[in-house]
Amino acid sequence: MMMTFTLWDIIRNLAISGLLTIVLSVAAFVFGGLAGLAVLFARISKIRAINASARLYIEMFQGTPLLMQLFILFFGLSLFGLDLPAWLAAGVGLTLFTSAFLAEIWRGCVESVPRGQWEASTSLAMTYAEQMRHVILPQAMRMAIAPTVGFAVQVVKGTAVTSIIGFAELTKTGSMLSNATYQPFLLYSLVALGYFILCYPLSWYAQRLERKVHAPRTN
Amino acid sequence: MPLVQTKRLHKFFGKNHVLKGINLDIQEGEVVTIIGRSGSGKSTLLRTLNGLESIDDGTIEVDGTALVAGQGDLRALRQKVGMVFQQFNLFPHLSAGQNVMLAPQVVKGTKKDEAETIARNMLARVGLAEKFDAFPDQLSGGQQQRVAIARALAMSPKVLLCDEITSALDPELVNEVLSVVRQLASEGMTLVMVTHEMRFAREVSDKLVFMYEGRIHESGHPQEMFNNPTTPEFANFIRTQN
Repeated sequence: MMMTFTLWDIIRNLAISGLLTIVLSVAAFVFGGLAGLAVLFARISKIRAINASARLYIEMFQGTPLLMQLFILFFGLSLFGLDLPAWLAAGVGLTLFTSAFLAEIWRGCVESVPRGQWEASTSLAMTYAEQMRHVILPQAMRMAIAPTVGFAVQVVKGTAVTSIIGFAELTKTGSMLSNATYQPFLLYSLVALGYFILCYPLSWYAQRLERKVHAPRTN
Repeated sequence: MPLVQTKRLHKFFGKNHVLKGINLDIQEGEVVTIIGRSGSGKSTLLRTLNGLESIDDGTIEVDGTALVAGQGDLRALRQKVGMVFQQFNLFPHLSAGQNVMLAPQVVKGTKKDEAETIARNMLARVGLAEKFDAFPDQLSGGQQQRVAIARALAMSPKVLLCDEITSALDPELVNEVLSVVRQLASEGMTLVMVTHEMRFAREVSDKLVFMYEGRIHESGHPQEMFNNPTTPEFANFIRTQN
């Protein structure tokens, strides 16, 4: 039996799977951000064992392809009898990946707060936690906004890789439809357009924020 | 009992012995200026007095709070010792008023409206009452430095450290900062300064400390020291300053 797909069917299916891409991206970004914050504090900790482990964690994720990370999660854990469903492996994999990259981006921002800010707050008798909360993080966060939004684009595009472990997001759905319709060029063009529609507003916003942060205050 | 007392203070940067047994007494209300060539240890000495630089040996005691070889209650010490820096180091994300209010609120637990009253008083004291809501990047260097002084004073320190506080300023802005310091001195504030403004140092200081190769080489009343230098190194230093 041969099913036929109208263009409208194709677009509707892609749109639905695009929602899954959005959900996966948002989940990875939110949970990855929270985990990234923990990794950040570990990474800038003065206790060597802690910051060395955080560094190893970050380098593991930065130094291997996302695809391998997903394979290891999905196939590796099943060797130990832990069978993760595709959506969970995709979510966990992207979350870990995001946490490592965000932690490293944010570390750069914390470290670019001038030394004088530490010295001034130290000499006002503030503790490390008080300095972080009231002096260092507010300044680091301002610097971090633009690169963080920029990285969100990487996360959205990164979700495409989860198609390989069978998670039916935009790319996977596109390839299934292409197999069914024998129209790979049309399908993959539509998939690419879908990613562009998701990513372009983010990069546009990141660039705007970048200009705003670097502009002198005018009020 | 002096307000600030250091005994046999030693400090190393790696193998470099930068402070070699500093004994210094500072009385309450005294204005002490530390001078010397760069690398003589004068800034390091100043920075050890509030624990910004750790010490390797010796003791520091400020108004009953002691550090022995770097061990002691730093938080208590730092509440008694205020500091003003060459580069101002105001918090750029906070207004002038918030800069002054922050430490009393966070460190001392002062209520917000009380902290605001303190901040307004301190800003008025440095002549910047109307700049409460201005952000650091809207202020001149001289104004920023005066806010930094107000910020330190808001913690009601027993002694104020000034580390080359006019060195980063344009010449025409130096005087507004020096006149604030002069006023503090006349009000009886205990001050320890490192400065290159020799004329100012001679004029306001009760005591001059000349550092040379990590030691206090010569110290005393500024006029007497300048008129009768007792060591060739100090005589040489004066000659190259004028």
